[in-house]
Amino acid sequence: MFSRRDALQQLSAGFGYLAFAGISSQASAKDESAVSKNPLAPKEPHFPARAKRVIFLCMQGGPSHVDTFDYKPQLITDHGKRGKYGGQLLKSPWQFRQHGEGGLWISDLFPNVAKQADHLSLIRSMQCDQPVHPGAMTQMHTGTAQFIRPSLGAWTLYGLGTENDSLPGFISLSPPPGTARNYGSSFLPAIYSGTKVGGGAGAARIMQNDSGRSVPDIKNPRLTPAQQRAQLDLIQSLNRDKLGRDDHQPGVEGVIESYELAFRMQDVMPELMDTSGESESTLSMYGIDGGTTDGFGKQCLLARRFVEAGVRFIEVTHGNWDQHVRLSTDHQARAEACDKPIAGLLQDLQQRGLLKETLVIWGGEFGRTPAAQGPDGRNHNNKGYTTWMAGGGVKGGFSYGATDEHGYESVENPCHIHDWHATILHLMGLNHKKLTYQYAGRDFRLTDVHGDVVKDILA
Amino acid sequence: MNGWRYLALIVAVAGFSIDVPAAENLTSDQLQFFESKIRPVLIAECYGCHSDEGGNVRGGLRLDTKQFTLLGGSSGPAVVPGEPDESLMLSAIKHDDFVMPPKRKLSDAQIDDFRRWIEMGAPDPRESQVATVQSSITGDDIREARESFWAYRMPQPTSPPSVNDDLWPKTEIDRFILDKLQQSGLSIADDAEPDKIVRRLCFDLVGLPPTPEQVQSFRRQWEIDSDRAIGVFVDRLLESKQFGERWGRHWLDVVRYGESTGSQVNMTFPHAWRYRDFVIDSFNDDKPFDRFIQQQIAGDLIPAKSDEQWTENLIATTFLAIGPKNLNEQNRIQFAADLVDEQIDAVTRVFLGTSVACARCHDHKFDPIPQSDYYAMAGLFSNATTYFGNPPSEYGNFSEVQANRTSSLMVLPVDDPNPFDRQYASVELARLKTELSDKIREQRQSGPQGNANQASRIRLNNEIADLSAKVAVVDGAGRPRSYCMGVQEQSTPSDATFLVRGEIDLPGPKIPRGLPKVLTDSASPIANDSSGRLELARWIGSDQNSLTARVMVNRIWQHMLGRAIVTSTDNFGSTGQSPSHPELLDHLAVRFVESGWSVKDLIREIANSHVYRISSSFNDDNFQVDPDNALVWRANQRRLDAEAIRDAMLSASGQLKFERPRGSEVAKAGYVRVRGGFLGDPREAIQRMVSTAQARSRQPFRFGTRNRDSMMSDVYDRMSNALDMNDATYRSVYLPVVRDELPRSLDVFDFADPSAVIGTREESNTANQSLYMMNNPFVIAQSQAMARRIANAYERPTERIDAAFVLAFGRTPSHHERTAAAKFLSTFSIGAGQPEAFAVFCQSLFATAEFRYLD
Repeated sequence: MFSRRDALQQLSAGFGYLAFAGISSQASAKDESAVSKNPLAPKEPHFPARAKRVIFLCMQGGPSHVDTFDYKPQLITDHGKRGKYGGQLLKSPWQFRQHGEGGLWISDLFPNVAKQADHLSLIRSMQCDQPVHPGAMTQMHTGTAQFIRPSLGAWTLYGLGTENDSLPGFISLSPPPGTARNYGSSFLPAIYSGTKVGGGAGAARIMQNDSGRSVPDIKNPRLTPAQQRAQLDLIQSLNRDKLGRDDHQPGVEGVIESYELAFRMQDVMPELMDTSGESESTLSMYGIDGGTTDGFGKQCLLARRFVEAGVRFIEVTHGNWDQHVRLSTDHQARAEACDKPIAGLLQDLQQRGLLKETLVIWGGEFGRTPAAQGPDGRNHNNKGYTTWMAGGGVKGGFSYGATDEHGYESVENPCHIHDWHATILHLMGLNHKKLTYQYAGRDFRLTDVHGDVVKDILA
Repeated sequence: MNGWRYLALIVAVAGFSIDVPAAENLTSDQLQFFESKIRPVLIAECYGCHSDEGGNVRGGLRLDTKQFTLLGGSSGPAVVPGEPDESLMLSAIKHDDFVMPPKRKLSDAQIDDFRRWIEMGAPDPRESQVATVQSSITGDDIREARESFWAYRMPQPTSPPSVNDDLWPKTEIDRFILDKLQQSGLSIADDAEPDKIVRRLCFDLVGLPPTPEQVQSFRRQWEIDSDRAIGVFVDRLLESKQFGERWGRHWLDVVRYGESTGSQVNMTFPHAWRYRDFVIDSFNDDKPFDRFIQQQIAGDLIPAKSDEQWTENLIATTFLAIGPKNLNEQNRIQFAADLVDEQIDAVTRVFLGTSVACARCHDHKFDPIPQSDYYAMAGLFSNATTYFGNPPSEYGNFSEVQANRTSSLMVLPVDDPNPFDRQYASVELARLKTELSDKIREQRQSGPQGNANQASRIRLNNEIADLSAKVAVVDGAGRPRSYCMGVQEQSTPSDATFLVRGEIDLPGPKIPRGLPKVLTDSASPIANDSSGRLELARWIGSDQNSLTARVMVNRIWQHMLGRAIVTSTDNFGSTGQSPSHPELLDHLAVRFVESGWSVKDLIREIANSHVYRISSSFNDDNFQVDPDNALVWRANQRRLDAEAIRDAMLSASGQLKFERPRGSEVAKAGYVRVRGGFLGDPREAIQRMVSTAQARSRQPFRFGTRNRDSMMSDVYDRMSNALDMNDATYRSVYLPVVRDELPRSLDVFDFADPSAVIGTREESNTANQSLYMMNNPFVIAQSQAMARRIANAYERPTERIDAAFVLAFGRTPSHHERTAAAKFLSTFSIGAGQPEAFAVFCQSLFATAEFRYLD
């Protein structure tokens, strides 16, 4: 068998293996040797894909489903009564209204997203196994919280490669600290892990208009590109020598691949991060106006630019939705910061003809209890909550599944996180049962031994 | 069956019941009396310091609900219905035992009203919910867990198993390892080459690469007697000052060491560095680990023989004060509860690998820790005051806008001020004070809704806060006082109140102070007149619990072998991982205690074991059985951590300053708010820099010119990268650790999040790391320095190449590598010149996988 390791090792001269293989975006996806040499080369899906790319809007902290996308009239009726697990039921402080031709019920927390209702497929019967943040976050990303496993984005990239090998195929925009495992590749090759962009650099916050610099160290202050390529060839030849001496050291393989990627990123990234060429109307669509929507608006705009550039999987995190207290003010503030940007993103993708092949996913690690916690808060609720998808291959103005009358548990068509993963992979043209990776003698998959595709939401 | 493990869902919400008595039982006369005579006085005179709304619970007393009034504060019930003489409240307003309200006495008529009210049974319509504690974790569950779950049973001394190979084991550790491997039919790797072993030892023990001299002499010794070579070399490393810098940093990961509060209002901790140095010194002194623990939990309560000892003990308690904080919190009671919660969480996870803080809002979902255990521990901490801010000045307590919560500092009994706190001449000090009082007057005159616009009000407020902070830290003669962060006990200990769902407005009964029941079989050893924190410290810092020694030896094993015996290093509970070598873990724990809790002895023993020196070579048969290498059939290839990578570059370049810098960058900045990655107000600093630059250029400042743009961009660059500390050449452990604003050299290589207890760092492999190695100014500067260093020492090109390899990798190059390097240098020199070519070559070595991996 011709392994990645062999490929990395044998190509010992010149431009490194990727250039040698003839930059992957031009290479035929069916060219087996090119694929085996370049782990990022596009690969044929298992069946025709409905979506080519994913933007995952990760709502960290657990936004309340009963205050956003899961309308519960009975909760209003029973306000103040004792909930089935104790505590007093709390009606939503926000009004729900029907929107679009599909008549989806959406609360006033998301007035702008509501205008895009006819693009949305609500999944109102989500379930996961973890009642606490770190565990639920990890399960949402990797399918399990017990072990360190590859992230959804890493699996997607492993299955499909990427269309632009000058950019990471999986980008995580400003992830919270200490969450690398959620966008990591685990036992998959390191090149499939998410690359963090933004977050941390104080520079970006001071120089609000100079977003091009928010990828630190993107330019060498001294060397010409040719000189740097020569340097890189030396580095890689030393790395390949080491790979030849060692056996099965995934770390060294990862270093080799990440240098090639980093080298090419230098050309592409600054231009991509520089949003100064965007029109006023685009900026205002995303709410990039120096106000409360500015920060998340910029992230969403970057997500669109990455999609255009061919990045396979982009994750954007927005938090913190964990309102055990001050639900009415803090949920309002969180929603205000992201409502317009998200709506702008959907609209912009639509206008550019990108929405039909871009799958936009919105969701948190769980929802919140219908019963109050304190006077103005809700606790974690992992047995029933809502996520939605839009664009690539899903129905619009559609709602799938339901929770009980108050919103505690999914009772109609429950969609476990494994089903959710299976569906996302399906939309990307991947059969979750066939997308396997052999590690230590066993075939692993994202959905373990579970997962059913939610066929009803497919367009 | 371990039934208690599966309690999770049943327990979820059923842990309490709420009983709301009806207010209708009061007669209308009683109600009338309360509303007209009692409530108005309570609101006007008492709520300010004793209510949730006022945000104050002085003495643990709230008077804003009936239940709290009856419950009372730290001195006992405020009101005993029908018993005026038993009611502390009455004696307080009469100014008998207490003097309340403190500034003026109520009128005789008012006092008489309170007496009558208490006599009539203290009728009070201000009902609040009262909970009774009902745990679904029973005594039997706890007993069963103590008996059945490995981590709650005491470590058992085990004699090392006999193995059918008497030659291979060099220490007892080796017998445990070999035994497991043989049971699983796995073979063990051969020994690594001496070059690799010496590199391993140096990075593991002192966090630095071996010097060329060390490599050479170790190899010589190795050829004579390999065991002795290791033994002698290890002893020498353990004695070096760099040992504490390496192992102290491991500890700082675990104790969430940071030099600012983090979150939205990110205020600095200018005295945190004292704790950092205390930790480093403790590891260098091989301070018995039990004592080290006791100092950190209760240093303020441990008897001290000298001022120096007392100083050290106080600094040790910085551990409790250093956690992340949300100064923006409006509610003082909530803030106090969160502070104690953070302390409980840190103490139990750091030392016991147990998460008691999970039981704040409900019984622990997975471990047999009822919610009442949490509040039993809360009482141990809530009797202390935590100091983490800056002292008030003689003019009062001022803080930055949005910093709603403030705190003072502790004064040390020795004269050892923060090295950057400056001394003021008397004229200067007087001027500062005048300026401060002028501004305070200006603020008073403009009033809260005064004419001044909001921006200028905020500016004035912050200027006052800054001035006050400056004036506060010097004595009357302008000499800086010596401060540290930490905790100190309040006078009278009291129990903590059980809070339903952890909510401050859902109080339950008082819970007697005590230790988690699953971890101790003796009754609570805490005396009435003691907070219990010292008892806690002595119990954790001892072999009287099943966890402390195991948790620490497991941490040490992890840092030496690259993989822990219990891989969930901060979680030894039922959701954690089981030990790969339970007998070895117990053996090490027992030995650790027997050695007098000597960290150095344990490290020495591991370093001298045979398993420590095996190679990392691959074996497919073994891999199929044990892909994670849990049984240690080969050495784990490990990526160096961020500090070791940076220090290794400085070491190779010869630029590394071994002396410890006094204080830290944060100490230099003083007590300020961190904004946009900058210590202080970036706008002010920009103005300062611009005016300096203007003065330098002697050019009139013109708007809209290219000059201005490039100057501003330069200013931005310097400001936004200030905390990267690219010019610093001391060891990485001394770089500033400002929460949410880590230096890039640390952040890019998975430095531990300083806001969390991190026993095991992540180990990522990313394009960002490649960009850092290719383009970062610090990396480039060190490459150039290394090139100069080599050029000064060697003439011939091959000598230079060899020297570079030895400095970077601790080995000479292979023939092929030497040829490749020579070819690169000759080609590259054509355009760039020879010195630049060699610098680029040195940088290439830094950038390789070999440089950052330990085989």
